[in-house]
Amino acid sequence: MRKRLGLNSTRWALAFDTRKCINCKACVVACKAENGVPMGKFRNRINEERGGHYPHLRASFEPEQCHHCGSPSCVRVCPTGASYQREDGLVLVRTEDCIGCGYCIIACPYDARFFNPETRVVDKCTMCAHRVDAGREPACVETCPSRVRTFGNLDDPASELRRLLDSRRAYVKKPQTGNDPQGWYLV
Amino acid sequence: MRRGVTRRQVMAGAAAVAASAALGPQLGCAPLARRRRAAVAAEVREVATACEVCPNKCAVLAVVENGRVTKLNPNPASPKSRGMLCARGNAAIQALYDPDRVKGPLIRAGARGEGKWREVSWDEALDFTAQRLQEIREKYGPEGVMFSSTEGFQEEFFKNFALAFGSPNLLRHPTLCLASVNLAYSMTFGTVPSFDLLNARYVIMSGANRFESIITPDTMDLIDGTMNRKAKLVYLDPRFTVTAAKADEWYPIRPGTDLAFILAMLHVIIREQRYDKEFVTTRCLGFEELAAHVESCTPQWAEGETEIPARDITRIAREFADVAPRAVYYAGRRSSWYVNDFQMRRGQAILNAIVGSWDREGGVVPNSRIPLGELLVLPWDDPTAPRVDEIDSRFPLAARGDGAFLQARDNVLSGTPYPVKGWMVYKQDPMNALPDRGKTRRMLEAMDFVAVIDTQMSDTAWFADVVLPESMYLERTDPLHMLPGIWPVVVLRQQVVTPVHDTRPNLEIIQGLAKRLGLGDYFDYTIEEWIAEQAAELPVENPLEYLKKHGVFALEGAPFYGKTLAPGYRFLTRSGKVELVSARLAEAGHDPLPVYHPPTQPPQGAFRMVLGRKATHTHAATTNNPWLIEQTPTNDLWIHPEPAGRLGIASGDLVELASEVGHVRLPARVTPEIRPDCVFMLHGFGKISPWLRRAHGNGACDADVLVTAWDRVSGNAAFHETFVTVRKVVEEASHA
Repeated sequence: MRKRLGLNSTRWALAFDTRKCINCKACVVACKAENGVPMGKFRNRINEERGGHYPHLRASFEPEQCHHCGSPSCVRVCPTGASYQREDGLVLVRTEDCIGCGYCIIACPYDARFFNPETRVVDKCTMCAHRVDAGREPACVETCPSRVRTFGNLDDPASELRRLLDSRRAYVKKPQTGNDPQGWYLV
Repeated sequence: MRRGVTRRQVMAGAAAVAASAALGPQLGCAPLARRRRAAVAAEVREVATACEVCPNKCAVLAVVENGRVTKLNPNPASPKSRGMLCARGNAAIQALYDPDRVKGPLIRAGARGEGKWREVSWDEALDFTAQRLQEIREKYGPEGVMFSSTEGFQEEFFKNFALAFGSPNLLRHPTLCLASVNLAYSMTFGTVPSFDLLNARYVIMSGANRFESIITPDTMDLIDGTMNRKAKLVYLDPRFTVTAAKADEWYPIRPGTDLAFILAMLHVIIREQRYDKEFVTTRCLGFEELAAHVESCTPQWAEGETEIPARDITRIAREFADVAPRAVYYAGRRSSWYVNDFQMRRGQAILNAIVGSWDREGGVVPNSRIPLGELLVLPWDDPTAPRVDEIDSRFPLAARGDGAFLQARDNVLSGTPYPVKGWMVYKQDPMNALPDRGKTRRMLEAMDFVAVIDTQMSDTAWFADVVLPESMYLERTDPLHMLPGIWPVVVLRQQVVTPVHDTRPNLEIIQGLAKRLGLGDYFDYTIEEWIAEQAAELPVENPLEYLKKHGVFALEGAPFYGKTLAPGYRFLTRSGKVELVSARLAEAGHDPLPVYHPPTQPPQGAFRMVLGRKATHTHAATTNNPWLIEQTPTNDLWIHPEPAGRLGIASGDLVELASEVGHVRLPARVTPEIRPDCVFMLHGFGKISPWLRRAHGNGACDADVLVTAWDRVSGNAAFHETFVTVRKVVEEASHA
């Protein structure tokens, strides 16, 4: 489980209200622009699920990106220590130490990592750490027309994120992996 | 720190890719090139401006690093865009730096449409254009030149140029867009209102696919309303769109029968006395006639027309009336569909009226405005010639200044009432925007001279004599615009970077032409002077400085409801009341109350073609954008499994779609998400212009098969009147 570091601790995380997702791809393109993600590669995505029989049909959309797990398997398998976790929970790749072995890509249960052919190292969602450190929201959160994502500090009882998770049911994906994922999907 | 890609990084990346190709598999190799953070600190600034990838004018904060736009962030200051920026807005950087842009003025060097161009200076291009316009003016009069444009902040300069030149033949976008909606509301309420989706508790929509066809703030307010505040959404569409997926109830209505549904709702609400008696008595004209008119329009009758069960129509009518005035039948903002479209829209307006959902929170609300100043310019004499589209006699109620595009095309082709031999196009691509591309092409080819002002080599530009490249929105400053609404805003689109190529803002192009045609005095001002005059009276200190800093000006406080409900208020209709019955319609030879006509049905074995949009593309304008084409790479033909099975079509099969005017080929998508009697394809693909490398020959163009039809009252193009046959294309090889 997450380590509680005291009153002033910070644990960044995302909650998703997938009912509000209209599959417009604003988050995907904003991420691309913000982070210089090469063509054909993505740091986030929207999963689609369709079913039913005419005229009783359903379609649902679920944004997904790195879950910034509490116990990230990608960090455990990294042979060089390039994959690491900050104290505030963000799972990042130190590019100068990455040898591109790809173990972490396989170890991630969420398919959240990829090999970047331009930088020649492993790439992933950083939760826009450069923006977060400057006091701003990640690009995908800020740009979303329907406000699907809520970004915030899980350790701050006053945060909108905490308030949402305290007041609504939420689940994480594949909890059985033991990764302690921190992408919260509101029900 | 930002991670924008510098030229050096791109070079390093290219070297790495070249090296990796020689070394084989990438994974497992030590990286050959590594991204290094730039040693020199970048000069970063943020400029507030307004997006132009679609007509919403969302507020944008452009991040500029060392003179290059690196990111477009949403500007939370605008109550219209509600602090968001969609995929298209985010992708505008790719349009700005697209190598496929037109990089300087071009004059045609080969046959029309052959694609041979001569790069020329602006002086030569403007001299040439002015000379050709002058020749046509001398030979055919100024009305011999037609001017067409789509909406935009610099459209007014183009419009003024047309009028100063002396041509009445200005064709704007509404008759390819929302003219029928505008006219229906004007004829009923005397104004075109907004819909208070932020506060509505019950929303009915006929096909205005608001979750894929984004309109600010409606899209955001509706998702917020339906998901957070439990507003009910009832959605009618032959196609299972994202809006259908999010709706509480979706009915795959039989296409073209929406008015039957609306009349049956009116029937139930009036029979059961669920209408707003006070509003109807004091504000409306013709309720008795309406009641008599809908007496026979029972839900059972409507079920036969719409295929929506009578009990559901009855229930929806009751729910709607009981929630009113927080209930709206949402008009949407979409092309008209059928030849009876105006009457269907008017039925919606009448329904909103009798339940009293007018000018109250959560209802249909007349727009508020913020007055802008106006630069006084030298007035010109209004054109004297009649319009080529004969709008005064054919569509006497329509907005005269906007024209009737399809009627104009027919008349130009037949040379009635007089010859039109020149065509100037601004920011519009009629080759994709109009139905029947073959016909548009014939009109292009019949012209002596065609000039196109655009940011890219559109399909229309491809057939032009001269292409005058306009600077993209991030490269120019536009006039201020006030966007009316429940939350009106004034937005400034200001220049963010210097033009990447040898392009000019539309005003400078117009001034260059005007000067050469002896009309320079009418355009003797700068964009700065224009804006300063517009901003002068805004109720804020240093308005221009304020706008340059924030990009947006909005009034403070809560929106204002009820100004038209004050005692003695006169609606801007002939009677001064909300006209349920319209004498003006009767005088113009139309039904004074909306009369339902069953739509023509497709012949045996044929399908009705329906249109729609997706959140990743704006009409036909963005299908060459790398980041958007990555999300929606091409189009395909949606066909229901039942007819697909009958025709032996599987997903991915190449099919040929044929109508009476043309045929196209594209892959099939066999899906239950469409009615069995309809097919659908996304607009904007199958481009002719080879300069749009990603869109050229990619997918199919709907305009190739759409037939010409228009709404009888407004002249608005009716896009759902096309019947097509579909057959599987059997590969030539299999015959051998």
